[in-house]
Amino acid sequence: MKEVIVEVIGVDPPCKRCQATYKSVEEAVSTLKEKDIDVKIFKLNVQSKDTIAKYGVLVSPALAINNVVRIMGRVPDRKEIERLILATVK
Amino acid sequence: MAEKTRYVRSIIMLIFIFFTIGYLIYSRIMAYSLAPTMKPADFHGLPLWQIPIAYLIDYFSHGWICLLFAFVAAGLVYEFVPKEAITKYMSGSKVTGYGLAIGMAPFLTVCSCTMVPLFAGVLYTGAGIGPAITFLLMAPAANILSILLTGEMISWELAGVRIIVSVVVALAAGIVISKTPWGKAIEKEHQVNSSSSISKIEIVKPPLDERLWSALKFGGYIAKQILPFFLLGLIIVSYVEAFLPEDIVGSYLTGISGILLASVIGGPLYTPTLVEIVLGKGMYELGMSKGALLSWLMGQPYDVANALAVSKIARWKVVLTYMFIAWAGSVIFGLTYGILSGSL
Repeated sequence: MKEVIVEVIGVDPPCKRCQATYKSVEEAVSTLKEKDIDVKIFKLNVQSKDTIAKYGVLVSPALAINNVVRIMGRVPDRKEIERLILATVK
Repeated sequence: MAEKTRYVRSIIMLIFIFFTIGYLIYSRIMAYSLAPTMKPADFHGLPLWQIPIAYLIDYFSHGWICLLFAFVAAGLVYEFVPKEAITKYMSGSKVTGYGLAIGMAPFLTVCSCTMVPLFAGVLYTGAGIGPAITFLLMAPAANILSILLTGEMISWELAGVRIIVSVVVALAAGIVISKTPWGKAIEKEHQVNSSSSISKIEIVKPPLDERLWSALKFGGYIAKQILPFFLLGLIIVSYVEAFLPEDIVGSYLTGISGILLASVIGGPLYTPTLVEIVLGKGMYELGMSKGALLSWLMGQPYDVANALAVSKIARWKVVLTYMFIAWAGSVIFGLTYGILSGSL
């Protein structure tokens, strides 16, 4: 079982596009489970000082996989997230 | 096979984009009016319920290409502008900070939900309160959608003036606030030491067809957010044009008092949705002076909803300072433009 940490970085209260991103990640997770990859999803607030100390200024929604920001300012679909996670664990 | 579908999809979307651009250029060359052509007098004699319908039909028969182009362009620009530049360079020197704020804000802020978070981000990373305020004011005043619509509906001269004045006002507000004691206090309070974050960012670039699709989808998303308000605005404007007597507009919205009045009603009237352009055009048609029209359009940055969100981060003193500077800027430049264009 491989573990991957996915952080969905958005505004709080969540905007529509951040929610859409979160939903895509959730959808990807169920497929990845079958491939023996355990994904832990975290929600980060783009405005919080912790997030900014970690990643700098981001355009929301953003997505980080294993502490690397891969997507910024757009909503990825389920398949793209799956591809990115698979490429990371390989 | 997958490659081939990607190729075809890209081509189809590119054709659509070029059609939109091409048709807009064609309509410009043919000097075909994209703005509503009905004059206030045309509304007299129509029954009440027919006024907005006549106005909407008139508007959309001319304006659909302009709106379509504006939303497509906004989506494309937002998708292809290098957003990671902000992360990379914003924490650098003050000069780069101001430069980026002015250069990037117009392209990134077609979606209002990104603005306040970016303001906070810029403030926290060390670029400081000056560039953050510049960014905040530049965004609603001169974003790509409002400039395109100002140009198409009112005039490109006014759109150009709007850009220049926005830059000057946003810069002035940023620099002044960064010198005030309360501005400095906020800056100190919020500074975080961002570790070398650059290494942690590796943005993936999806293939062209996916990028185009997400650009068009984003354009559609903005349209869905804005159009309901825009339609409501058009309906209101149709009644304003039909019933607001020209002599009232002529006597109150011209001259120095007209500029003062326009600058004051432009702000609290929360119209982030391009309605201010349609409403401005309506009143201009009824006799509002050019100077007052500029003041009216410049009133946007200090709308109340934004000020509330910003005050949570930067406190009221900073908010009041930038609101005052933005207001003063709209009055000063309204007067200057009014005098220079001979329409005060």
